Parts: sequence; structure tokens; C-alpha cells
Amino acid sequence: MLEAYGSALAYLFGNPSSFLLIIFSVIWGIAFGSVPGLTGIVGVALLIPFTFVFDPTAGLLLLAGVYVGSTFGGSISAILFNTPGSPEAACTALDGYPMAKKGQAGKALGIALASSAIGGIFGTIVLMLLAPPMAQFALNFGPPEYFALAVLGITAISAIGGGSVLKGLVAGLLGLGIATVGLDPITGTERFTFGNLSLLTGISFVPAIIGTFALAEVLQRAGERVSTKDVITDVSTKLPSLKEFMATRITLLRSSVIGSFIGALPGVGATTAAFISYSEAVRWSKRPEDFGTGVAEGIAAPESANNSAVGGSMIPLLALGIPGSATTAVMLGGLTIHGIIPGPLLMETNTQLVYTVFIGMFIANILMLIFGIRMARYFALVLKAPYALVGPAIVVLCMTGVYALNSNIVDVGVMLAMGAFGFLLRKLKYPIASFVIGLVLGPIAERSLRQGLVIADYNYWEFAARPITAILLVGSIASLVYGFYGQWKRHREVTQKTATSNG
Amino acid sequence: MLSLKTIPTAAALAAATLLSAPAALAEDYPSRTVEVIHAYGPGGGTDRFVRAVAQPFEEIAGQSMVPISIQGGGGMPAYANFQQRRSDGYTMKAISPDQIIAHVLGRQDMATFQPLARVQYDQGMIVVPADSPFQTIEEFIAHARENPGDLTVGITGAAGFDDTAMGLWNIETGAEVTTVPFGSSEMVSNTLGGQVDAMHEEFGPARGLIESGDMRPLVVFSDERLPVLPDVPTAKELGYDVTLGRWRAFAMPADADPEHVAKMFDLVSQAVASDAYQEVQEQAALQFRSVLLGPDEFAEFIEQEIATYTEVLTALGLTE
Repeated sequence: MLEAYGSALAYLFGNPSSFLLIIFSVIWGIAFGSVPGLTGIVGVALLIPFTFVFDPTAGLLLLAGVYVGSTFGGSISAILFNTPGSPEAACTALDGYPMAKKGQAGKALGIALASSAIGGIFGTIVLMLLAPPMAQFALNFGPPEYFALAVLGITAISAIGGGSVLKGLVAGLLGLGIATVGLDPITGTERFTFGNLSLLTGISFVPAIIGTFALAEVLQRAGERVSTKDVITDVSTKLPSLKEFMATRITLLRSSVIGSFIGALPGVGATTAAFISYSEAVRWSKRPEDFGTGVAEGIAAPESANNSAVGGSMIPLLALGIPGSATTAVMLGGLTIHGIIPGPLLMETNTQLVYTVFIGMFIANILMLIFGIRMARYFALVLKAPYALVGPAIVVLCMTGVYALNSNIVDVGVMLAMGAFGFLLRKLKYPIASFVIGLVLGPIAERSLRQGLVIADYNYWEFAARPITAILLVGSIASLVYGFYGQWKRHREVTQKTATSNG
Repeated sequence: MLSLKTIPTAAALAAATLLSAPAALAEDYPSRTVEVIHAYGPGGGTDRFVRAVAQPFEEIAGQSMVPISIQGGGGMPAYANFQQRRSDGYTMKAISPDQIIAHVLGRQDMATFQPLARVQYDQGMIVVPADSPFQTIEEFIAHARENPGDLTVGITGAAGFDDTAMGLWNIETGAEVTTVPFGSSEMVSNTLGGQVDAMHEEFGPARGLIESGDMRPLVVFSDERLPVLPDVPTAKELGYDVTLGRWRAFAMPADADPEHVAKMFDLVSQAVASDAYQEVQEQAALQFRSVLLGPDEFAEFIEQEIATYTEVLTALGLTE
């Protein structure tokens, strides 16, 4: 192992240009992440042809750097404009944007950046030290475990409701329901398409998120008819002080663990990791009702989780040759073109490649801190422009971004419709967070429940009685019951108080 | 100045110029970028296929060929986009068994395509994890016949190519297995982790795990054994006619100019024969039965495929 790191370091210092590659790729990644519609996947896919001129190690360094940078980049526009630049940053907007609106945009960006770097470094360390055993452990996760994990995340909806549990549940169920439009994941038949072939595309997640967050926000601000020019003033990005940092340390640790593990599960990635760790942050918080109003944990949780998921999703790629996320799937394609056969032997036969990438990802996370501050500052300059210009520009960016993603015009329609829908939800004070969690985790829960039942021959007991599944499901039920009990108790206290004051 | 009399002459002249234009163009066709629409993600198998052909194509034709990825909706948005474009010889579509399935299900119409060239032809396998109790395909079949539907086989996508291949397997062998649709990476992890008994996968993507000894192929769906897997029997030699494989091909619009079709096939076949393309094909382990088919042979092949897929999809109860 030490030898492997030695040869990796020898490679890096023998090829000083590789440092330039890492610098370039991190900046490229942050830029792609921060523009809505240009996601990390696109950033990686566009660079693959350029890796032909490099050796495979340099090529993979380049792609890994983009992956690291883009995962943070999404949070910049999420915080400043409520427009998640990439799907995994959607969760960051839930508390990041409210904090920015309170005039603390710089603080929000700083927390996002610091959490991203900590999560990213945590994920990389897990990748360095634990890749083979983690990959093996992740194989124990079959459909029932995926289902239980998704359910655990969904049950947090009851805690997120803020004022009203009922509204939280209604919004969550709407999210779950809307996600079923399109092609059935198991039988491939059409659902709720009403014979309209364009609805086969379904309500896909990215257009729905961009609509409910960004477009709805523009609509709302247009409706307010006030000059909101000066709302976000403090945009000088500051990293959090040690005291602020220590206050979120438990959240950071919990989210990084969740992120690197969920990242290691094939088929679910940074977005799921961000939402589940947000759910957990709410669940374990002493003041769950504050989430959504701009609390530090609400930014730290998703940002550390989605960045640690980067390292996590490299685990099955390098240890087994199975990509842990959509971005790593594109990277796998890039490796194949270089004549490298991804598989369990990769870590033994291509030690230099693998360990150089480990070190490269480490460096990329540190560089991200340096460049992140600068780039966030440039982005923030946009806020000095009047909203009458910024608002329409955001709409245009959302439309082109959503279209650019799949070149599918139906997605633009979905985005516009979800914008109107998100606007309504806000007006009626239904929590967007619950809606989006339903939309993201619902399809995972549905698909894995049905896969698991096919495997278990529709024996529900066999499905639920697996140890990990059972623990997660019991935990979900307990948290649901506890959540309702807490609500009920608070409600009773309030009524008693009013009763005594009246009496 | 134009008098009334000269107008018809001018019009006739203009018409003549217009009519002769395609003929003149055919000689220097292609004179600009050729776009290839496909329904898969950038960096995926089809996207890489188009890029691999495009690289030598550019040198041979002097014009570039670019893949256009239009994803989602079971391939319908990509199909619609292809239909809406002008049939001028500069728009092609990368097609695969997915188009045949969409045709059989009544969503797309193969008659709207002019088959141009089938380039890649892959072969599927039934692969089990290393610790599977089944050492040979005979044991696998015997168990499946005694316990119909008990064995689970991971596949990618619902009601797609993999489902059809395994459906044909069920029909031909009577060794009925239950398919479980996954995303491609989840399919592999669920098979490795023993959540399902086996998976249906092509050699290229599975070879890393086969070479490391983590997975064992039991049977290959091809006419002949693969030279790299000399001990793995084909379904055909066991007496089951299951040779369905995933293929990748180019098509033009049905009303494409025949001269354009001939010229384009010539260019594509030169590109495919180039060392650059052959190298990429070998790296993806697609060389075993990827015989280039021209427009006529490919059209025949499509007819056979439609017949087979119709039979299987009807047996699966997916057609109306």
C-alpha cells in the first residue's frame, strides 16, 4: 500500500502538468456545477474526448477533479438564486437560500464550501482506506434494503412539516404521486400518460426541481412587486469560524458517513445522499421546526453528504468495476476507451492509476476551497444587478439548462408546469422540502419494493425480515410515531397554555 | 426588367436549377456535418459507438459526424425529433433492438427508417456469481424446469431488450426464470451480492468480473462459442435457438435519396474497416460477431428481428 502511494506520488511529481490538470478540472467542475442544466455528468462527458491525448491516469485525474468541483458548484446558484445548479444541490437551497435572503449569503456560501471540502475529504479517505470492504458490504444491500433506506428518508417528512404535519404529509404524498407518471419501472407499461406519448418522459427529477425551486421563486418575487435589490447584501464569502464549525460537527460527521455509504451503493448517488442526510439532520435536531428558515445544519448536512458521496461512488467503480452513480458510469466509459477493463482486478493491476486518483481527489478538495471562495465571489456580483434583469435571466437559464440536459423539449414543459405548481405550494404554505423528498425518494422506494417482492415471490414477511431492512423499517416507524407524539405534546401544551391564560 | 412573358421562362429556369441541384450535390455529398440522433446518455454505449465511427469517418469523408443525445421517454422524444427533421441526408439515427421493440409495441414504425448499416452485434450471456450452486447450464436448466419461475435473473430495463432475450429463453428451453429489472450497475451489484440468482449481460461489460473469478458465465447466446470463453457452451449447441443479441446500427429517413444512401454506406463501411474503429471495437469486446451489414441485408435482418420480437413480446403479453 505504501509502495503504491509512493509510486503515485512519484507519478504526480514526475508529471507536474497533472497539478495543472487538477486545477483546471476543479474550476471547470465548479463552473459546470453552478450553471443550472450543466451538471457534472455533462462536464465529465464533454472532457472524455480530451482525455485521449493524455495517459489513462491523467485522464482519470481530470474527470475525478471535475466530479469533485461540480458537486460543490451546484450549491453556489442554489444559495444565491434558489436555483440548484445541479440536482445534488437541490437540498442545499432549502436552507441556503433563506439564509442568503436574511442577508447572510456570504456565510451560507462559506458553510457550503467548508462542508463540501470536509465531506469530500472524508469520502476520499473512506475510499482510500476502506474501498474493498465497503464495496463488499454494499453488496449486502438488495432491493429490500434500498426500500427501507428510502422509507427512512421519507418518514422525515412528518418532522419537516414545520407548522403543520398535515401539510407536510400532503406535500410529500403529492411528490410521491407525481413521480409515478411515465413508464412503470418493472413492467414498462404507461402510467398516467393518458395516451400522450410525450408524457412517457415522465416528471423527471431535474426539471421538476428547477421548476419548483427556481421558476417558482422568480414568479413569487415578480408577484411581490417590491424592489428586492438590496435583500442579499453580504456576499463576501467567509469560511465559518471555528466556533460555528464546532456547532455543526455532529451534523457534518453524520452526513459524511451517510454520504460516503450511500454513494457506495450503485444506482443511488449524491442527490439521494443529500436528501437522506437532510432528513436525518432534521430528525436529530433539537429544533427541527427551524429547518427551512436558514439554519447552518440545513446547509452543512446536504453539502457534506453530496461531496462525500463523490468518494463513495468511486468505491464500487474502482473496487468492482460497477459505477456508483451516473457520473462514474460516464467515467467507466472513458476508462474502457483507454483500454482499461474496470473490474475487481483494477486495484491490483493498475495500482499507480488508482492511488494517483486517490491523491488527486484529495488535492482537488483542497483546491476547491481556494477556488470556491473566488468563484462564489464572482457569481455573487450578479446580485448587484436589479432583479428585473436577474429574474428573466434565471428563467432563460432554467429553460435552456433543462433542455440541454436531455435535449428533450418535454422536460421544458415539465419545468414550466412544476414552476406554477411550486408557486401554488408556496402560496398555500405547503413545505417544498417534503414535496421534493417525496419526488426524489419515492421512485427509489417504489422500484426497490417491487423488485424485492418479485425476488421474494410476493412473500412480504421474507421481504421485511432481513436484518438491515428490519432495523431500518422499525427505525422509520419509531421516528414517525415519535414525531407525531412530539407534535401532539406541543399542541397540548399550547392549548393548555391558552386555556390557563384565558382562565 | 422582367416582362410577363419572361416570368414563366425564369420560373422554369429556376425550377430546372432546383431540380438539378440534388444531382449536383450528390457528388460532393456530404458537404457538411452529419448528425446522428440517439436516445441514450452521453458517454453511454451508443454514444461511444457513434463517436468511434465518427473519428475515422471525419478523415475519410472530410466532414464530421456528431452524436445528438435526446434522452428519456422510452426513446420517443429522440424518434419524434428524427421524424421532424428534413430528410436531406445529414440526419441519421442510431438504431438498436429498442426500435424493433417500440415497433412491435406500436410506438414507433420501422417503415420510417431506411436501414443503412448494422455495425455492431453483441451476444448476451447468463452469468452467475462465483458461489452459485450451479456449475453448468444443464444444472441451471434442470432446476428451472423443476421449479418454474423460482430462479431470478437480473436484467436492465423493463420490457426491453433483456426481457425479450430472457422471454425467448423461457419459450425455447421451458426452463422458466423470473426477470427482475434493474439499472445496469444495480443489476451487477445485486447479482454479485446474491440477491438474484443470475444476470443477463453481454461479455464486454462483464469481463472484468469474469476475469477476476467473481462471476461465471454459464451460456452464451451466439451461433459459435466465444474464442475468449472456449468452455462456455452456446444455447444453440444445446438445442435452443436463442441467439438474440444487442446490435447497433445506422438508419436514414425512409425517403432518403438512394444516392445518398449508397454514398453514406460506402463512407461508413470505410470508417468501420479502419484500424481506429477496429481498435475501439476490440477494447469493448464487440468483435466476435460484428459483421457489417449493408442496406439490403440489414433490411432483411430487421424483418427477421421483427418476426422474432413479435413472437416473444406476444408470448409475454406485452402486445395488444
